[in-house]
Amino acid sequence: MVFLLRRLCFYLAAFIAAATINFFLPRLLPGDPIQIMFSSAGSTLSPENLKALKLTFGFVDAPLWQQYLTYLGSIFTGDLGMSIKYFPLSVTSVLGRALVWTAGLMGTATLISFTLGTTLGIIAAWRRGSKFDVIFSVSAIVATSVPAMVTSLVALYFFGFTLGWFPTGYAADPALDPAFSFEYISSVIYHAVLPIITLSIVLTGGFVVTMRNNMINLLGEDYITMGRAKGLSDGTVMFWYAARNALLPTVSGLAIAIGTVLGGSLVTEVVFNYPGLGNTLYHAILARDYPVIQGQLLIMTLAMLTANFIVDVSYVLLDPRLRRA
Amino acid sequence: MKNVILGLLRNKKALTGLLILAIIVIAAVAAPLLTGFDPARRVGLPHQPPSADHWLGTTRIGQDVFARLIYGARTSLAVGFGAGFIITAVGTIMGIAAGYKGGKIDEAISFLTNMVLVVPNLPLLLVLASFIGQASPVVIAVILGGTSWAWGARVTRAETLSIKQKDFVKAAEMLGEPGWRIMAAEIFPNLVSIVGINFIGSVVFAVITEATLEFLGLGDPQTVSWGVMLYSAQNASALQVGAWWDILTPCFALVFLGTGLSLLNFAIDEVANPRLRTGNSLARWVGRVRAGEGRL
Repeated sequence: MVFLLRRLCFYLAAFIAAATINFFLPRLLPGDPIQIMFSSAGSTLSPENLKALKLTFGFVDAPLWQQYLTYLGSIFTGDLGMSIKYFPLSVTSVLGRALVWTAGLMGTATLISFTLGTTLGIIAAWRRGSKFDVIFSVSAIVATSVPAMVTSLVALYFFGFTLGWFPTGYAADPALDPAFSFEYISSVIYHAVLPIITLSIVLTGGFVVTMRNNMINLLGEDYITMGRAKGLSDGTVMFWYAARNALLPTVSGLAIAIGTVLGGSLVTEVVFNYPGLGNTLYHAILARDYPVIQGQLLIMTLAMLTANFIVDVSYVLLDPRLRRA
Repeated sequence: MKNVILGLLRNKKALTGLLILAIIVIAAVAAPLLTGFDPARRVGLPHQPPSADHWLGTTRIGQDVFARLIYGARTSLAVGFGAGFIITAVGTIMGIAAGYKGGKIDEAISFLTNMVLVVPNLPLLLVLASFIGQASPVVIAVILGGTSWAWGARVTRAETLSIKQKDFVKAAEMLGEPGWRIMAAEIFPNLVSIVGINFIGSVVFAVITEATLEFLGLGDPQTVSWGVMLYSAQNASALQVGAWWDILTPCFALVFLGTGLSLLNFAIDEVANPRLRTGNSLARWVGRVRAGEGRL
């Protein structure tokens, strides 16, 4: 419990740090911070709305520390301000709408790549030095060094434009109305296939490398030799003796993957024009919609911290040594 | 260290990686000799497919794609190695100091490190870059260096903690050597492979991230670089109009450089940790490259 409480305090500090960056960044730059942040707001926001928005970001007639407290106050009450581009929607609702699409996309891709990558990693480690190992571990490393936009663009070009197998944009056929019908849902799935495949390719490499190295470290342990000496089958030793223990560090990898899910699909969403968080952020950047850009940092930090906390809890559950400490 | 270098020269993956890197470096350095075209100027008709005149075709505003490719390599290499150096230097110094000094210094550095680790890197970079607006490659390199050192610090610290217990460090302490000398001359040489993996991993990360920021329109569009090439090609709807040479060229270049660097990194790991005892450092780096991209 003490362990978890300490972690919680740390996460709170980290979240405040992210908020502090948001607060000070525009004020540290040369020039008028209000001018920098809201110069594009004049055309969409009314004066009263602009005033409210300034208040949210702590631009009040008061010393800096009071401005800072005002800003922290609005964040902790869940007020991230209004979007300039999507006025009159609030930042929370703009991001919330997009979050659903991203969560679906990244959830599926993470699941596929975790299963695939971990299995490949287990087999590669077991047959260390074999052709299988060399091919898969080298290509996994290479795959992690390829930017996601390259994978996405190449996939879009060949399977979207040249072969015409998959749609080249949007989350569903724009002609259909969102409804709980077979037609709409199958359109959503059809539109998600290519982005999900691309993302899975991008994510799999990391899991292969992590799992392979965890396994190799464990394969030298005495209890593995013992399992073999008992005459257990290769499959039993591989999966029930080695892989089970090697999986523990990978759980944290999985959580980090989920935590960065939101940013995860950024480039892929932009390339496939998929209406998730990444694409929203991209359009916010183009429109210099700073409330949305800053809100995104806070929400992603929060997601990252939550995922980390879940890892902490699962470690306490999975590893008895931590419970005693 | 000698063994590491000798081992690398006997390793096929390392040689392939070095060869790829050499090709890119030579192309970047000898760019004016390889092409007569100015990469920033309009030198032909828009969107011409590859031909004898324009080896890799032209962009929508009639720039020569091949010239942009090899001149752009200069930017990618400079940002990659520049930011990689900053990231590695900061991470290594922080890690060794925290691991060796211990106590309050360790607590302060570890707190800072963990803090930087949990604030997601990519959104942070996007916020920074969007406020700076049209960030030049130098600015991008500095931002990357300042925000991405934490993984290196953590890995280096862990390794320093175990080296600190070794006899030769104790001996140096008893001889009364000053702390900085022990850290620089006794501990650092034993971290060469970790620092090497850290460095190359950081270069890959910096190259990818610079290209990504520019692709998202946060770079200076006047720069000649692979990221800006992708950005302009995407804006010119190169795929929709079938101008594949415009968009696939920088894609190929990024894959080529990434492949070279990662083969090299894989080889260092193999040579330095024959039993992969501490081989997790590479896995951590891979995680970091991905996490840094915010799993882009």
